[in-house]
Amino acid sequence: MGAICTLLYVDLDVFSSTYMQIVKLLGLDVPSLCLAELVKTYCNSFKLFEASPSVPAKYVEDKEKMLSRTLQLVELASETWLVTGRHPLPVITAATFLAWQSLQPAYRLSCSLARFCKLANVDLPYPASSRLQELLAVLLRMAEHLAWLRVLRLDKRSVVKHIGDLLQHRHSLVRSAFRDGTGEVETLEKEPLGQGQGQGEGEVGNNSLGLLQGKRPASPALLLPPCMLKPPKRTCPTPPVSTVTGEEDISDSEIEQYLRTPQEVRDFQRAQAAKQAAPSVANPP
Amino acid sequence: MTPGIPIFSPMMPYGTGLTPQPIQNTNSLSILEEQQRQQQQQQQQQQQQQQQQQQQQQQQAVAAAAVQQSTSQQATSQQATQGTSGQAPQLFHSQTLTTAPLPGTTPLYPSPMTPMTPITPATPASESSGIVPQLQNIVSTVNLGCKLDLKTIALRARNAEYNPKRFAAVIMRIREPRTTALIFSSGKMVCTGAKSEEQSRLAARKYARVVQKLGFPAKFLDFKIQNMVGSCDVKFPIRLEGLVLTHQQFSSYEPELFPGLIYRMIKPRIVLLIFVSGKVVLTGAKVRAEIYEAFENIYPILKGFRKTT
Repeated sequence: MGAICTLLYVDLDVFSSTYMQIVKLLGLDVPSLCLAELVKTYCNSFKLFEASPSVPAKYVEDKEKMLSRTLQLVELASETWLVTGRHPLPVITAATFLAWQSLQPAYRLSCSLARFCKLANVDLPYPASSRLQELLAVLLRMAEHLAWLRVLRLDKRSVVKHIGDLLQHRHSLVRSAFRDGTGEVETLEKEPLGQGQGQGEGEVGNNSLGLLQGKRPASPALLLPPCMLKPPKRTCPTPPVSTVTGEEDISDSEIEQYLRTPQEVRDFQRAQAAKQAAPSVANPP
Repeated sequence: MTPGIPIFSPMMPYGTGLTPQPIQNTNSLSILEEQQRQQQQQQQQQQQQQQQQQQQQQQQAVAAAAVQQSTSQQATSQQATQGTSGQAPQLFHSQTLTTAPLPGTTPLYPSPMTPMTPITPATPASESSGIVPQLQNIVSTVNLGCKLDLKTIALRARNAEYNPKRFAAVIMRIREPRTTALIFSSGKMVCTGAKSEEQSRLAARKYARVVQKLGFPAKFLDFKIQNMVGSCDVKFPIRLEGLVLTHQQFSSYEPELFPGLIYRMIKPRIVLLIFVSGKVVLTGAKVRAEIYEAFENIYPILKGFRKTT
């Protein structure tokens, strides 16, 4: 849809409302978004598959390898709730970047996401950086459950070198690194925020201890969408039960508080007249 | 709805267009491959349906229309059941068959002439979700029954704003119940922001009293609730991609445009916005029972997408 908006020179909001109306009025059966097709189409637009003056030789990559690895990373993101409810393109951009980096990490770890998009002649979507961090966090979690990576103190930079291994065992790693959070959301909500964070810190503590000992992996993290893991921005208390019947008497005093006094009416009229009479003044800088 | 039957009752049969059977996802394929496979299957089903419809039209010229429809419906339901992804229970497509097609659409399956019997057992009270949607907004209208001078209202009321170049109505607000009203020169008024039907009525009466106090012979005619919005939280994440695949006829999920899935329930006629976090917004109701009924209908479907794998 972004491509259509670009071609038609229309705002996404205008396109969105028109598209939804047309689909509803005509009862169209539009096939749902297919991520795999979008990945293939999007990756094809990257200018990294042939040597060119703007692209260093070490940055050129085989298209099929990159596509295959990107698909696996997008699938992993989808499994770990990073795709649902979000714009798909930033996730694919982040996955493509990681796939490209991981295929030759020695030469490519120093390249940032922004530079990568510039070299590939592709726009950098704003949320792509956040998606990249989330994907790296998932990969780090998985790495803690891979025996030969557990002893290494991986960070978000060094884990890229091992993406191949992680993807090869991704199904079992996701099962061991994450636990289904669907039954525990209520527990999380009932605990005060401090305790919840304390638990998280406790988990991190366990993780570091486990890593030092090299004996046991970290306890599985909750597998939930990021929006459910963050503490709520504001609490919404249950409104008190209303006893309003709709037929209560309405006191005159309550209504009169909404009426201007004659003096106020005169003042308001005077102010309006003054405003109309005064010439328009430019806004101060 | 049939008169005499309570609008909201746990024993009320599920309406058309719903598939309360939760979907058991046991497929071991990757999610992307599964989506592709299901899309291809649905396309094949559509082609088969079109071919069948052409054959049926030829047969209808020979036999009586009613007999032909019932025969074709049975054949279609069997074929549709066989053509499912293998995950949905047998009742999935047979229930879908009772869906009234949306206006302007070519239904995937021909509408059967069978009576609307409950295909899946109604959820007994003990199995209800236990979650009650909270009403968040009520929109109501009332006719004050007289022409109004909006300039006079804007001049003499403290809580009014009027900008005819932007909008041809006075926007008035009161503190209790905390609501907003749009007052038009025709005497019609829209009241928004109340949290219950009673509060909306009380607020509308207060606005009418304000207009009366300003010197207009305002009455209170034809008060009507036009729309009710409710929300709730099922407290578990929902695979929206899966839901849109299994309930394609009623769902619209475009993550590029909106993060939630738009589910247009046929009976009751409610639109639900379903988000990955498990929060659900229900709108389009004229009575609160429709909100409750719609949520009780959708909850078993959402539970089917509770598991991550």
